[in-house]
Amino acid sequence: MLKYVLKRILLAIPVLLGVSIIVFLIMRVFSADPAPVVLGQHATAEAMEAWRDANGLNDPIVMQYVNFITGALHGDLGESYYTHAAVTDELLSRFPATVELALVAIVIAAVVGVALGVVSATHKNSPIDGLATILALVGVSMPIFWLGVLLIILFAGVLHVLPSSGRIDPLLAPVGGTGLYLLDTLLSGDFEAFADAASHIVLPALALSMYSMAVITRMTRSSMLETLNEDYVRTARAKGLKKRRVDIHHALRNAMLPVTTVIGLQLGSLLGGAMLTETVFAWPGIGKYVVDCILKSDFPVVQGAVLLIAVIFVVINLVVDVIYAYLDPRISYGKEEG
Amino acid sequence: MTMADISRRRFVQAMGAVSATSVFALVGCNSQRASEADGGEGDASESGIADTITFAQGADPRGLDPAYVDDGESAKIMCNIYDTLLAYDTETCDIVPGLAELPDVSDDGLTYTFKLHEGVKFHDGTDCNAEAVKKNIDRQLEPNRTEDMPYASFVFGSEASGSGVASVEAVDDTTLVITLRAASTPFIKNMAMALAAPVVAPSAYENGANSIENPIGSGPYKFVSWSKGENVVLEANEDYWNADHMPQTKNVIFRFIAENSSRVTALTNGEVDIIDGIDASVVPTITDAGYELFDEDGMNINYMAFRNDSGAFTDVEARRAFCQAVNVEEMVQSLYGEYAGVATSVMPLWMAPYDEDIKQTAYDPEAAKQTFADLGITSCTMLAYTNPRPYNSIGGQALAEAIQGYLREVGVEMEIVSYDWTTYQTKVETDAFDCCLYGWVGDNGDPDNFMNLLADENVSMNVGRYRSEEYNALIQQGLATEEGDARNDIYKQCEQMVADEMPWMVISHSKNLAGYSPKVQGFFYHPTGVVHMEGVTKTA
Repeated sequence: MLKYVLKRILLAIPVLLGVSIIVFLIMRVFSADPAPVVLGQHATAEAMEAWRDANGLNDPIVMQYVNFITGALHGDLGESYYTHAAVTDELLSRFPATVELALVAIVIAAVVGVALGVVSATHKNSPIDGLATILALVGVSMPIFWLGVLLIILFAGVLHVLPSSGRIDPLLAPVGGTGLYLLDTLLSGDFEAFADAASHIVLPALALSMYSMAVITRMTRSSMLETLNEDYVRTARAKGLKKRRVDIHHALRNAMLPVTTVIGLQLGSLLGGAMLTETVFAWPGIGKYVVDCILKSDFPVVQGAVLLIAVIFVVINLVVDVIYAYLDPRISYGKEEG
Repeated sequence: MTMADISRRRFVQAMGAVSATSVFALVGCNSQRASEADGGEGDASESGIADTITFAQGADPRGLDPAYVDDGESAKIMCNIYDTLLAYDTETCDIVPGLAELPDVSDDGLTYTFKLHEGVKFHDGTDCNAEAVKKNIDRQLEPNRTEDMPYASFVFGSEASGSGVASVEAVDDTTLVITLRAASTPFIKNMAMALAAPVVAPSAYENGANSIENPIGSGPYKFVSWSKGENVVLEANEDYWNADHMPQTKNVIFRFIAENSSRVTALTNGEVDIIDGIDASVVPTITDAGYELFDEDGMNINYMAFRNDSGAFTDVEARRAFCQAVNVEEMVQSLYGEYAGVATSVMPLWMAPYDEDIKQTAYDPEAAKQTFADLGITSCTMLAYTNPRPYNSIGGQALAEAIQGYLREVGVEMEIVSYDWTTYQTKVETDAFDCCLYGWVGDNGDPDNFMNLLADENVSMNVGRYRSEEYNALIQQGLATEEGDARNDIYKQCEQMVADEMPWMVISHSKNLAGYSPKVQGFFYHPTGVVHMEGVTKTA
């Protein structure tokens, strides 16, 4: 297993290099000149040229890339053109918000999605199955932006029972810690702040989980149906085991293999930043921030963020593969490699 | 223990965790809503004034050191943290004393002597004296100035232009002498601006300190924290030196909510008390919910520039025909409703030199049609931006299409080439075009700040490349003339030249719009685009 993990990590290097080259070229070739944005409406042509020189934008593009990747390898992603802050600091200050939202959303999506999928499969062609199918269809086809606005209008605009935006009352925000407000407030025993943070995350997490929930429901249903038709399941039933025990203990575990992949990939997407959800709910994560930086041609931030997102995808894919081995004892990466 | 057992247990644990979160969430909702039902702020002071006011704006500040930023979102926060040598009057651009009394100006207009208030301290307890002010200006003068100080050359001038600050001298703790390279009447207004001019404590930027994220000023509010993408928290400076402007509310929070409609919902849901950056489309939602609307004339101009050096409109008769073809009044009312005024001058109508007798070219489509036919003009190209701008809330594309419709009526097909604002700023400098949309938000309330655009050598400022020695001479004369009727006459002559020669087709002046809770008192959106929060209160 260790050898397999090491091999996967080595394979990630060309993937990350490829991603960095592509995003570097896209930003340099298709993006607008950042000088007017950075220097503002009073900038002269001479000042803009001096700024481009100072920031290496007049160097040959290969040299610019080499400088960027050398810095990245040393953990230095440069400074934001626009705010002068270190890119790593800018991303790290926003990353906990993205992680917290993604984790809560994926937990909701996985729990509800798997439950709905199992019920749907074990009650195939029943009204419950039909309802689950309709829910999944709605979840896949409804744009998150629109769903977010509907949730805000209903729960904040009409019923006034939930906040429409933000992460927490700023005066209750925990200082230091992990940056995950739910966890930090819980660990510090500040239940007022925890309740406030929880009330803020309900709507964005619901909106964000809807698509993943629908995908997980459909995948669980089809995987369960396939597993329920396996010989060993029939044998288990023939032995007189209770239906619930057969469904959960015998069928669900095997059916979870492809579902685990889907959950992992969905989590990867959510950690990459949920731009629309973050915009609608004013959630201070990296998704919306990166889009803002693309519009401002803030090259260092965009390059750093895309690299970070690529690393997240690679790591999550690796974790999913390792979980495979745990869920299915027949899989042993070590033996395959040996 | 089997693997199946572990899976089931974890599944049950996960379900339990989600249930617990949901319960806490509901408790949170209920407690928050209960608090609001009890009268809004749970932290109200005994005086009946709420302890906290929350202002929601569209974006994070770029930074909180006035030397390094150029955006309104930063200015709104910074004007509450810092003081300036001089200040604008509460509701106008008239200059009043700030950290210093109004200066003594030498007869040649080159030497300004400021007398600072004694005993003023920065928020960290260091002295806010003449030496601190000198350091703050010196770091923005050449050769200390860096390219990323966007307003340094505007406020303090440059050697190349032969204008601005030549030297600064701290004579003693309370006496500061600033010497200019050339007489400049707008200089005194620059000293009140929210960008570049505010006085930052040297301890905030010396010895590697990061004044952009940890500002230290001497203003009515002290910086507490900045959660990127979320909020900036300020608290009242109980030791503020200016008794007439003591902060009335304990905490001021600036929250950042990008989406226009989300900002409005946050207001009507009681999450925030004041919002800005709104457009006319959300006004009914605000007023129907019983909230107040602030709408006062802004300090801006929305215009279309003709390319004066090449293309279809180098001839003044062609420009006149274009202006005759477009019914500006009808177009402005149709596109912006009551939230923008028809422009009859470059300067906003409320600024001192405005002269209602100066008229722009009247709508006359028949005359336009005849002139275009005579000149053989049947097509033209317009560059436009796509985004909404502070002076054009509907965005450039919609405005360009409206103009395109009027031109079609007189037999001219106009091609619109549009870009996002960032790209657009480069394209107006590099691409060929016949006319383009642009605009300007005033900086300091001085007429020179508007009229100088047409004398600027810099293409990014003077996008139409208008060149007139007569006009440039008037601008230079205005710079060196003291405020008063003589100076106003100079700018009226400039306005008359614009009306006669039409380097621009002036379109509209946008209003500053903001929504606020009826519990809020003392709110005023200054024409320069900032909000001083020290006098703003909210009923608990």
